[in-house]
Amino acid sequence: MKAERVRLIVVLAVFFLALLALLWPTPNQTYKGLAKFFQRVRLGLDIRGGARLEYRVDVEPGVENPSQVVDDVWTVLRNRLDAAGYTEATLRKSFRENQSFIVVEIPDVADTTSAEKLLGSIGVMFFGQVLDESASDPSTDPRLMDLAKIKKARWLPSRDGKVWYLVREEIMLVKDLKLVSPRIITASPVPETRVGRFGYKVTFELASKDAEVFKRITQQLVVPETAIGTAAAKEKRLAIVLDDVVQFAGYVVSVIPDGKAEITGNFSLEEAKQLAAILRSGALPARLEKVSTGWVAPLLGSDIIKSSLVAGLIGLILVMIYMIVFYGIQGVVADIALIYNTILLLGVMAATRSILTLPGIAGIFFTIGTTVDGNIIIAERIKEELRAGKSIKAAITAGFDRSFITLFDANLTTIIAGLVLYYFGTGTVKGFAITLIIGVAGSFFVNMVLSRLLTDAFHNLIRVPKAAERGVEP
Amino acid sequence: MKKIDVVNKRLVWLSVAAFFVVLSLVFIFTKGFNLGVEFVGGSEILVRAEGNMVEQDLRQALVEISPDFSAARVTRVRSVGDPANVVKFSVTVSKTFEVEEKTKIIEQLESKLAQKGFKAEVVSFNETGGTAAEEIRRLTWRAILISLAAILAYITLRFNFIFGVGAVAALVHDVIVTLGFFSMFNYEINVPAVAALLTLIGYSLNNTIVIYDRVRENMKKFKGKDIPALINDSINQVLTRTINTSLTTFIVVFVLLLFAGNTIKPFAFGLSVGVLVGTYSSIFVSVPLVMKWVKYR
Repeated sequence: MKAERVRLIVVLAVFFLALLALLWPTPNQTYKGLAKFFQRVRLGLDIRGGARLEYRVDVEPGVENPSQVVDDVWTVLRNRLDAAGYTEATLRKSFRENQSFIVVEIPDVADTTSAEKLLGSIGVMFFGQVLDESASDPSTDPRLMDLAKIKKARWLPSRDGKVWYLVREEIMLVKDLKLVSPRIITASPVPETRVGRFGYKVTFELASKDAEVFKRITQQLVVPETAIGTAAAKEKRLAIVLDDVVQFAGYVVSVIPDGKAEITGNFSLEEAKQLAAILRSGALPARLEKVSTGWVAPLLGSDIIKSSLVAGLIGLILVMIYMIVFYGIQGVVADIALIYNTILLLGVMAATRSILTLPGIAGIFFTIGTTVDGNIIIAERIKEELRAGKSIKAAITAGFDRSFITLFDANLTTIIAGLVLYYFGTGTVKGFAITLIIGVAGSFFVNMVLSRLLTDAFHNLIRVPKAAERGVEP
Repeated sequence: MKKIDVVNKRLVWLSVAAFFVVLSLVFIFTKGFNLGVEFVGGSEILVRAEGNMVEQDLRQALVEISPDFSAARVTRVRSVGDPANVVKFSVTVSKTFEVEEKTKIIEQLESKLAQKGFKAEVVSFNETGGTAAEEIRRLTWRAILISLAAILAYITLRFNFIFGVGAVAALVHDVIVTLGFFSMFNYEINVPAVAALLTLIGYSLNNTIVIYDRVRENMKKFKGKDIPALINDSINQVLTRTINTSLTTFIVVFVLLLFAGNTIKPFAFGLSVGVLVGTYSSIFVSVPLVMKWVKYR
């Protein structure tokens, strides 16, 4: 039989590939005991423990290129996480119903609070003009508050909270001359080399889209070095504001045409480093709204793994016994198909680097049901064909041929439901949809190819229904 | 296997289905659902303790920390297979907390329980904002409706429209009755529970299609045979398969229900009920309901 040989080769090749995907050596062997076998299957955070945060990116309406804004947000958050040592974290952009979301997942972290602080700080940055300063809290002084109203400006504290500056976004009241959420490409501390200065300065470079505006701003605010400290010059200082805190206020001593500027102030190395980091991680170009946060301790995960493995084995064994009792040799075939499909499913997940989540484990359970179902349909068909008086060989052929279309239709609808789930589901449920789709597709393959191969091989052992049962009206 | 008279007694079978649908609707509209935090917004805290801690201990500690917890729901989560000396509790409250508050709650809860002599720790803290919950609710309904529509289209294409109507009616029955059971037994409806509902749609349909497929095949084979008798035979021919399949699937999901932890329990419950309900509807609702309109093509 040519077809049989083809089937045998396909079955063995697929099995070999699945095992290869599962047992391919990994650098870090983390699981022990029975679970060693599944080393290569990536576990979701709901099992291995970790934190998940989701934010909605509130892009202002009328922005020319909203997807660019989301990309910028992503970059800023990535920098913040890396700077804080969360290099393991993954950041994903996702889009639903014309809205953009950023999903942050940090493995092995059992607490979201520090990450939330890091990501949640709004970080709106702008370059403004300093009009005045005050050494006492302006909110307690009505005169100063009135001044802010008149000048269309706001009182903002300095970083150490000892000084308040009156800052206006519009530079020199030139219409629309303002720079909000500038993109700063690089910023770094550099040792001072000029005579009469000491310590460090900070150099930074603006993205080309902001360089032109910055040039106009510096043209407006530039003061000759001799005038520094005079009252007129004090009203022309540039403020770098982040999160409504004045990070730096100083004089512009020359026009900057190319966006490459330096901030001098005899900083210590620490101060310079900090200022550079602030400029770099800078500002989020849009506000973030917290959608949901959650974390799971690894301890809980190990409980889950234990109980699902036990549950899985018990369920599997019960089903296997049931099938053998009911279908004899064809039950054995079904059981082999069942184990094969489970290994295949895990193999595919390992090969595609799909993530196994809690609902995903549930999906594997469900796959057990669909695999057995296919075998039952086939076994029942073969019985019917035998009752109709066919020979065993002919009954097997007819049984499989007729089951093909039934199983195809039936499994395809399950896959439709799975695809809908995948499309609409959130993180963990997507994991369920993945196992469901792979599992159902796998069960179809296993039933049509492996079960066929085994049934043909064991055809001598199939019980022919008693003559009394034959000739039943269809 | 004895033949069941599905067709002539179809009013009886359909009445049973109708009764459960009405009963479920009564429960849904009077008792309502125990919705998870993903759907209403709020926080869920999972506490794992060693020793014989009870709900009361935890509730006391919570109320001492903040009056926000006076309306919290505290339920013990049991799953077979947990170590014998471990208990877990789920605390849900319809409020989300600021970052600092969260840290405080976790620290204080653990120390207060330690004072009472329990080795307890917070093992999970999830929160969902109100707008997000609204979005999840909307998307969930949409997912259910879209999958029903997609399935109706597929069956119309592969079989015919009237079978599509029968299948969708059976599915609506399944969804309502399963939701009714969620309400009766006060199981939480969380995101995995919805996944169970959608899976059930696929599963019940799978059963229905196997029956439709047999009807289609017999109609080709015995052209001109009396339709009610033909349908009855078709259903009976696949009955053994349907029952065996449902039983094996039921075994698996029921074992999962016994062992599953907090998050997955609703999923396993939904499927355990759903497999039974879906099997019933495939046999006694999907075809009998539209039998009058089934015609030879």
